Amino acid sequence: MRENDNTRKSGAMGQSGAMGQSGMMEQPGEMEKSKTMEQFRAMVRMELCNIFGLNVFRHTRDSRAKKKSLGLLCLYVFLLAAMAFYVGGLSYGLISLSMGEVVFAYLIAICSVVIFVFGILKAGNVLFRREGYDMLCALPVPTAAVVLARVLRMYVENLGLSLVVLLPGTIVYAWIVRPGASFYLTLLLGTLSVPMIPMAGAVLIGVFVTGVSSRMRHKSLVAAGLSILVVLGILLLSSRLSAMEGNLNLEMLKNVSAFVFAMLEKLYAPAVWLGKAVIYGDFLRCLMCVGLSLAIFAAVAVGSCVCFHQICRNLYGGFARHDYKKEELGGLKRKSVLVSLCGREFRRYFASSIYVTNTIIGPIMGCLLSGMLLFLGMDSLEAYFLIPGDVGLLVPFLLAGVFCMMTVTSTSISMEGKNWWIARSLPLSAKHIFDAKILMNLLLMLPFYLLSEGMLVLAIRPGILEAVWMFLIPAVMIVFSCVYGITVNLHFPVLNWESEVAVVKQSASAVLGGIGGFVLAILCMVAALVIPEEYSNVLRGSVCVVLILATVVLYRGNNRHAMAWE
Amino acid sequence: MLTIEHLTKHYKGSSKGVTDLSLHIAPGDIYAFIGHNGAGKTTTLKCVAGILEFDEGTILIDGIDIRKDPLACKRQFAYIPDNPDIYEYLTGIQYLEFIADVFAVGARERQERIKKYADEFEITASLGDLVSTYSHGMKQKLALISALVHRPKLLILDEPFVGLDPKAAVILKNAMRRICEEGGAIFFSTHVLDVAEKLCNRVAIIKDGTLIASGEMEEIVKSGQSLEDIFMEVVEDAGE
Repeated sequence: MRENDNTRKSGAMGQSGAMGQSGMMEQPGEMEKSKTMEQFRAMVRMELCNIFGLNVFRHTRDSRAKKKSLGLLCLYVFLLAAMAFYVGGLSYGLISLSMGEVVFAYLIAICSVVIFVFGILKAGNVLFRREGYDMLCALPVPTAAVVLARVLRMYVENLGLSLVVLLPGTIVYAWIVRPGASFYLTLLLGTLSVPMIPMAGAVLIGVFVTGVSSRMRHKSLVAAGLSILVVLGILLLSSRLSAMEGNLNLEMLKNVSAFVFAMLEKLYAPAVWLGKAVIYGDFLRCLMCVGLSLAIFAAVAVGSCVCFHQICRNLYGGFARHDYKKEELGGLKRKSVLVSLCGREFRRYFASSIYVTNTIIGPIMGCLLSGMLLFLGMDSLEAYFLIPGDVGLLVPFLLAGVFCMMTVTSTSISMEGKNWWIARSLPLSAKHIFDAKILMNLLLMLPFYLLSEGMLVLAIRPGILEAVWMFLIPAVMIVFSCVYGITVNLHFPVLNWESEVAVVKQSASAVLGGIGGFVLAILCMVAALVIPEEYSNVLRGSVCVVLILATVVLYRGNNRHAMAWE
Repeated sequence: MLTIEHLTKHYKGSSKGVTDLSLHIAPGDIYAFIGHNGAGKTTTLKCVAGILEFDEGTILIDGIDIRKDPLACKRQFAYIPDNPDIYEYLTGIQYLEFIADVFAVGARERQERIKKYADEFEITASLGDLVSTYSHGMKQKLALISALVHRPKLLILDEPFVGLDPKAAVILKNAMRRICEEGGAIFFSTHVLDVAEKLCNRVAIIKDGTLIASGEMEEIVKSGQSLEDIFMEVVEDAGE
C-alpha cells in the first residue's frame, strides 16, 4: 500500500514539476509513461529488497535465524574466496605463459557458461513463480513491469557472479600488465553486458520448457525431463568440443593464444569479441558487443512479457477432472506407515521440476560416466578428466562423488515448507519421517546405481576383489550422503519459503549437502593417488569402515536431535 | 480429556504469546476459545497440538503429558489449522489414505468413513484431483474429513467455520456434536460468537495472552446478554 501511495505522490509531484517547468499541462501519454516507470521502479524495489534474503536478515528479531544467515554468509564468502583464488591463479598462469590476451575472453566464457547452465535450471521458476501472482494481477501494474522486474533481479544476481569471476582476473591483469585508461573503460562497459546473452539464452529455454510443460497434466515431470535433456545436450556439445582438441592444427600450436581464441569462439563467440575489445581497449568494438547483447536481451525480455500470462494461467490453472467415482473407494488398502510416508516423499519429489533437475543430474552423470567407459574405453575418461595415475583405482570414488553431487535428503525437510504442521501434529516419530526420506533417496538412486555399476563391470571386467570395491565404495558413500543430507538439513532448515528456488538452490543445506559428498570423494581420490598402490585395498577398506561408522553416528545423532521435535 | 496447566509460551524478540493459561476440557465438552486477533488462540492450539514448544506449564491429553509422550498424545486428537495448507502434490484421496495409514485405520473403516463424509461434504467427485486445484473451502472440507476419518477423541480446530459453505458448516456442527455424544471433546477457536453461543457448552476468553474468563456457557450468558455483549464487556474490563 505504501508503495502505491508513494507511486501516486511521486506521480503527482512529477506532474506538477513538469507543469512548473514548461508552464503547460503534461500530455496524458506522458503521464501514463511516468506512471509505468514509477510502477516499474516500485516492482524492482520489491524484487531487489530481499535479494539473497537481505531484507529478512535485516528485520528478523530471531537471533538464531541471524546466526544461521551469518553462517551461510561465511560459507558463501569462503566459496567466493575459493573462486577468486582459482580465477586469480588462472589469470596469473595465463599471463605468465604469455597468453595475457586470452584472459578476459576465457573468464567471460566461464561466466557465460555458468550463467547459462544455472539460468536454464531456474529461469522458469523465477520468472513464473506463483508468489503474489494473483495479487499482482489485481494491481494496476502492466505485465511488462512485473516481468522486467523479475528479469532484472536475475540480471543483478548474474552480474554479481560475473564480478566475482572478472574482478580477481582484472586485479591480477592490472597488477602485472598495467593497462591504460581505455582498458578500464571498456571493461566497465563490457562487464555490464556479460550476463545478458547467456541470460537471454537461459530465459528463452526456461520459457520454452515452462511453456511446453505448462500445457501438460504432469507439468513438473515434463519440465524436469526437458531441463535435463537441455543440460545433457550442453554437456554433449562441450564434450564434442573437447574431442575436437585432438585435431590440432600445427599452425595453431605455434600460437597458443590463437588456438585458445579459436576454441572459445566455437564455445561462445561473443566472449572472444568482448575479451579482445577489453584487452585492446577497443571502445567501438566493445560498444558493438554491448549493443548486440542489449538487443538480444531486450528481444527475449519482450517475448517473456508477451507470453507471461498465458504460461502462468496454464501453470496455475490445474487440471481438475471432478470424475472420481465412489466405487474407486473400494480399492483402498491399508499400508504401513513407512511405505505410506515413502510414497508421499516420491510424490513430493516428482511434483517439483527444480527439485528433480537439481538432484537427478548426479545419478544421470554417473550413468554417462560408466557408459563412456563402456563404449569409448578407459582412455576417454583419462583424456576427459585429465586424471593422472590408475583410473581403475579412482573410478569407484569418482562415481560415488558424481552420485553424491546433490542429494535429495539435504533439502527434503525444508521442502515440507508450509506443510510442516501436518507431520508435526500427526503421531509420527521423527525417525519415521527421516527414514522415509532416506529410503526414498536410496530407492531413487538404485536403478541408476545398478545401471551404472553394470556398465562399469562390463567396461572394466574386474577381478572379484576389484568388483567388490566397485560396488561397495559408491554404495557406502551414497548411503552416507543420504544420512548426511538429513543432518545438514536438520541444522539448516528453511521452512518459511515462498519459492522452491530458495530451498533447492540458495539454502545453506543445499550448498553443504551438494559439496559434502563430492568433496569427500575428491579427498578419497587424492588419497588413492598419494598412497602407494600396494596399500590400495587397505585405503579402500578404511574408507568404507570410516564411512559406515560415520553414517551410523550421524543417523543416531539425527534421531536424537529430532526427538525434541516430536 | 484436555488439561492445560499454567501454559506459558513467548516468542523470542516479541511480547506476544501466552502467559499462565489454565483450562480443563472434559469428555463431552464443546469448548469455544475466543479472543481478538493476536490474543494467543492459535499459539495455545499449536502448543496443544504439539506443533509449538512451550516455555512453562503442562498439557495433558487423556492424562498423557504431551512433552513426555507426544506420539501417544497425537494418536488421541486431530488438529486442523485456520489455513489448512495440505500437500498440494497429492490428490484428495491420496491425502486421506496417507492420514488413514498413519492412524492405522483399517481398509473397510476408511472406505466407509471417507465415502460417508465425502458425500456429506459433496467433494467425492474431486477426490481424484490434486489438492492444488481445490478452493479454500474444499481444502477445509478435505482437512475435516482427514480429521474425522480416524475418529479422534479430541478435535482441535482453529477457526473451522471460515471458508465453509452453510451446508458444510451444519455438517461440521453435527459431526462435532456426535463426537461429544460418543465421549470425545472439541476445543476450537472462533470469531463467530453466535455459533459459539449456540454450539458450545463451555467458553474461554483470552486477551493479550492471558485468560480473562472461562466457564459454562449457560452461566456466562445467563444474565440475558448475548455472548457478544459479554465478550465486549469482559475484554473492555480487562483492558482498564
